Amino acid sequence: MVVDDHPMWRDAVERDLAAAGFDVVATASTGREAITRFAATRPEVVVLDLHIPEPDGVQVTTEIIALHPTTKVLILSASGEQNDVLAAVKAGATGYLIKSASRDELLEAVHRVAAGDPVFTPGLAGLVLGEFQHSAATEVRGDKPTLTDRETEILKLVAKGLSYRQIADRLVLSHRTVQNHVQNILRKLQMHNRVELTRYAIEQGLDGD
Amino acid sequence: MSAWTSPAAIEVENRLFRALAVLRVVVLVNAVGLTVYRAGNFDPPSAALVCALVMVSWTAFAVWAYAAPSRRTAVLVGADLAIALGLLLVTPLVKGPGFQASVPGFWVSGALLACAIHYRWIGGLLAGVALAAVDLGLRQEIDQSIYGNAFLLVIGGPVVGYMCESVQRMALERDEAERAAARAEERARLARAVHDGVLQVLALVQRRGGDLGGDGAELGRLAGEQERELRALVRGEQPGRGPAAGMVDLAAALAELETATVTVSGPATAVEMPAHPAEEIVAATRAALDNVRRHVGEDARAWVLLQAFPDHVEISVRDEGPGIPDGRVATAEKDGRLGIAGSIKGRILDLGGTAELITGRTGTEWEMVVPRMGLDRLDHR
Repeated sequence: MVVDDHPMWRDAVERDLAAAGFDVVATASTGREAITRFAATRPEVVVLDLHIPEPDGVQVTTEIIALHPTTKVLILSASGEQNDVLAAVKAGATGYLIKSASRDELLEAVHRVAAGDPVFTPGLAGLVLGEFQHSAATEVRGDKPTLTDRETEILKLVAKGLSYRQIADRLVLSHRTVQNHVQNILRKLQMHNRVELTRYAIEQGLDGD
Repeated sequence: MSAWTSPAAIEVENRLFRALAVLRVVVLVNAVGLTVYRAGNFDPPSAALVCALVMVSWTAFAVWAYAAPSRRTAVLVGADLAIALGLLLVTPLVKGPGFQASVPGFWVSGALLACAIHYRWIGGLLAGVALAAVDLGLRQEIDQSIYGNAFLLVIGGPVVGYMCESVQRMALERDEAERAAARAEERARLARAVHDGVLQVLALVQRRGGDLGGDGAELGRLAGEQERELRALVRGEQPGRGPAAGMVDLAAALAELETATVTVSGPATAVEMPAHPAEEIVAATRAALDNVRRHVGEDARAWVLLQAFPDHVEISVRDEGPGIPDGRVATAEKDGRLGIAGSIKGRILDLGGTAELITGRTGTEWEMVVPRMGLDRLDHR
């Protein structure tokens, strides 16, 4: 499924995916359309623009993951708003690609998320690294998972632009091990989100008493 | 006088008149009490009752009348002052020419302050002078305390009037500032929507251009450059990211170095630093990137990573070039050809940090570590 409010973009992405042999089961231009069509068609991969008419890409990601947790959401964003990208990944997106990425990069990214492999660009790795460093510096409760030294090391190398292959070479690990570490990092990041949501719920609940 | 009829100014007046209503009741209780207590000084004594009734009914009327902005007319304020002056003028008639205390006493302050609030310092001054002149004019003898009271009327009127005016001005300015902030926010919101649209189109042109080849590819490349610049700009302008005065968001400053071949990564939140070290870090990073272009090639890819810790920041600049042979930087330094060593190491060392060059099979990497504490001290050297 392709979600984008710009028809030209939606068509271009749909065409490219169809040409590469993907079966595009639905397209949507608003958040509401995206959620209803997702429920009706159950696509394996959702290519999602963050800036769409209400509800926005972050909320759509949350809803989709709640409906069907194994769905892969690939964020395709033009915006420079880093907080939104981080929020979408925390909400359960498996990858983030900037819109100016080439067609080949897009296709590779879709292939990878479809295979369950997170698409971590250096930009996203920098954001995630920042998130863990920020919570390490500010958290007092200690209920948010932290990264192991190895995971931090790998995340740093991704942020510095090394490919998984180069990281595996440098750290003398297998390619598969690097992938597993990256998946764990993403899982921990998404747990941050859950911890935050739980805290929020508790605070709201206490307020309501 | 339109400034005085603005909602903000009227709201200030409303509050002041509410406070004055309380004061009026307090001075009324005082004046009526004294009048009844000294009813024996009145001739005939029933005149005391008449005067007290006038004060009670006028106070009740004034409290009601001043409560609504539309009823605060010149006629009302004039009548208020006239009643106060009238009660002063009848004093010698009902208490004899050698009277000690005037009939209304402090009750006149209600009319004085109403003039001051509604007509500001000039109203306060005129009312104060009128009341003081009439009071003094009726006296056979003027002692220290009578003079003091009159002087207070003349001084108090314009002071209260001036303060009322100042508060109204401040309220107007605050209103104006609030409106300006709302306008700026709306503009920023619109700008974000426009920016997003432009970014989408630029990204699309870049993508389609690449598919077309030839001139199209060149067009696509140009669109890509513009897209990155706009994205870096938007990143630096996100709401809630505005750093404090004299501080710079290092993350946004470094993001501006992003080009088609340079990727800049960093945290989603602002990394605030004093302006001087931030500029030096950006300059050192730029020098490292220039070096990549010079030694690896114009199209060489490079990655900048900013990590922010509570006590320090780490900046890494990596390329995938062949690397610099061991000792070359040191040799250049010794030879006096400062080059990279001068512009990168020097700048970072001056900030109390360290800059290291690591080369290996996966390229060359500058690792710069700069402390965040005590930088404000360095900033003011």
